[in-house]
Amino acid sequence: MTEMSAQAVFNAAADKIVAEDVDVFYGTFQAIKHASLTMKAQHVTALIGPSGCGKTTFLRALNRMHDLTPGARVEGSILLDGEDIYGADADPVVIRHRIGMVFQRPNPFPKTIYENVVYGPRIHGEGNKAKLDAIAERALRQAALWDEVKDRLQRSALDLSGGQQQRLCIARAVALDPEVILMDEPASALDPIATSKVEDLIGELTEQFTVVIVTHSMQQAARISDFTAFFHLGEIVEVGATNQIFTHPKEKRTEDYITGRFG
Amino acid sequence: MAVTIVPRSPRSVAATSSVRARKATNAIATAVLWVMASSIIVMLAAFILYIGYLGWSALSPAFILGVPKETTPGGGIGPEIFNSFYILILTLLFTTPIAIAAGVFLQEYAKAGLFRQIVQFSAESLATVPSVVMGLFGLLVFVYTFHWGYTALGGALTLTVLNLPALLRVTQEALASVPDSLREASMALGGTKWQTITRVVLPSAIGRLTTGIVLIAGRIYGETAALIFTAGLSVTGNQPYDLNPFHTAETLAVHLWYTHSESVVPDVDRIGNGSALVLLIMVLLFNVSARLVGRALTKRFTGRVS
Repeated sequence: MTEMSAQAVFNAAADKIVAEDVDVFYGTFQAIKHASLTMKAQHVTALIGPSGCGKTTFLRALNRMHDLTPGARVEGSILLDGEDIYGADADPVVIRHRIGMVFQRPNPFPKTIYENVVYGPRIHGEGNKAKLDAIAERALRQAALWDEVKDRLQRSALDLSGGQQQRLCIARAVALDPEVILMDEPASALDPIATSKVEDLIGELTEQFTVVIVTHSMQQAARISDFTAFFHLGEIVEVGATNQIFTHPKEKRTEDYITGRFG
Repeated sequence: MAVTIVPRSPRSVAATSSVRARKATNAIATAVLWVMASSIIVMLAAFILYIGYLGWSALSPAFILGVPKETTPGGGIGPEIFNSFYILILTLLFTTPIAIAAGVFLQEYAKAGLFRQIVQFSAESLATVPSVVMGLFGLLVFVYTFHWGYTALGGALTLTVLNLPALLRVTQEALASVPDSLREASMALGGTKWQTITRVVLPSAIGRLTTGIVLIAGRIYGETAALIFTAGLSVTGNQPYDLNPFHTAETLAVHLWYTHSESVVPDVDRIGNGSALVLLIMVLLFNVSARLVGRALTKRFTGRVS
């Protein structure tokens, strides 16, 4: 897509999450400085940047995971469909129901494959066996794992390969039918074949979900994302259509990173 | 900088004297370590065989199921075996909920801070109290102050205080072995802290937890000093298998001590050796079942043997 049409796509898509002037502190250390970013519905937004630039910290602010870290503090506003998730009425349990997360290392529960997938629906009150079965099958199909595990749903999830475990974690997030899925370098612990499976999957997920993905790999960002935000030293240096960022970066620092001069 | 290359003289692949000496040291060290490690097996085997040899002839249905006698030969240890289990169950009934609740609080809720430090320090101090001192404490509180006399309940409560620190530690270690990534996964799916603990953390820790509890059960089963002063040295005369927690309840370990030090029955050695063997078998069974039960529960909750 050309620069203009990318801008047109951006303008045409609905805003899903709008972060405005977000600061994140760990104690007195400021890890994110005045970050503003709009994440578009049913598109993939990639967060790229060198190690320690704050991209994971920013991602974890989007579903209030910093609530769990002693000493961490988030300021500014993050709007989900226009509602501030740090507002007085906002409840982390509801927010995390609507915004799922997939972590860097596959972290399936030491339970059966089936119990992993239906964990979310169960804790949110779904007890009907037939409904849970249907949810499990749908989620595993969406995560492109169904054919591999349909005959061993009652086996331990820990017996799966790393790539399968990560797709199971995606299925587990999808099973809650969230609106947004946050992914923190979901393929960094996987081999190339498993990585390409997960990448293909991310593309399919955007039919239904908004995806925000942190990635170390610029190739991956280029392959799978629609929009890219470049982080450096806790700031968002540049945001744009992925094509534009990688071919015509506006900022010197972005260009230096893209061309491998640092990072 | 120019480097002068000196031609190397031909070398052999055969061992030099220096290599031979180092290999000898290695061989000696390996042998010594092997002997030390094996000595543990030898000690356990010798112990079991000796007790088994002495006690074997005493084992009979009449001994294991019969009631003890005060002055005549032929007494059994049935009520003592029963009392040992009865006090064990009472003790675990009190200890396990307190230890697990306190452990969950310390490990999952009070991550750091003064209160946690005080509880931790108290538990560690409690753990250093010798069991005979704990017995005297039980004597003062339950026997004298509460006017209960020697009772199964007093003994169980004393053992509760005695074993609480160990069980707390077991709980904390079992919870600490659960990776934080699992807690994060549950929270990220919208789980509350309580749901995360009850549905992910505790089931993941259940194997270690159970193994620890059963091992401590073995210790409780064999505990003696603390019970001499609290649960008493006799069984209820007219009702040897007695479920009333306010009645005296001599356990197997206490009976073993009592027959050898205080009793006037003529067949002291037979009763003592037989009791020792039964006690040993019971405690070994606890140790073996600790592993089996832990493994089975891990499999049940995780679908996998770990």
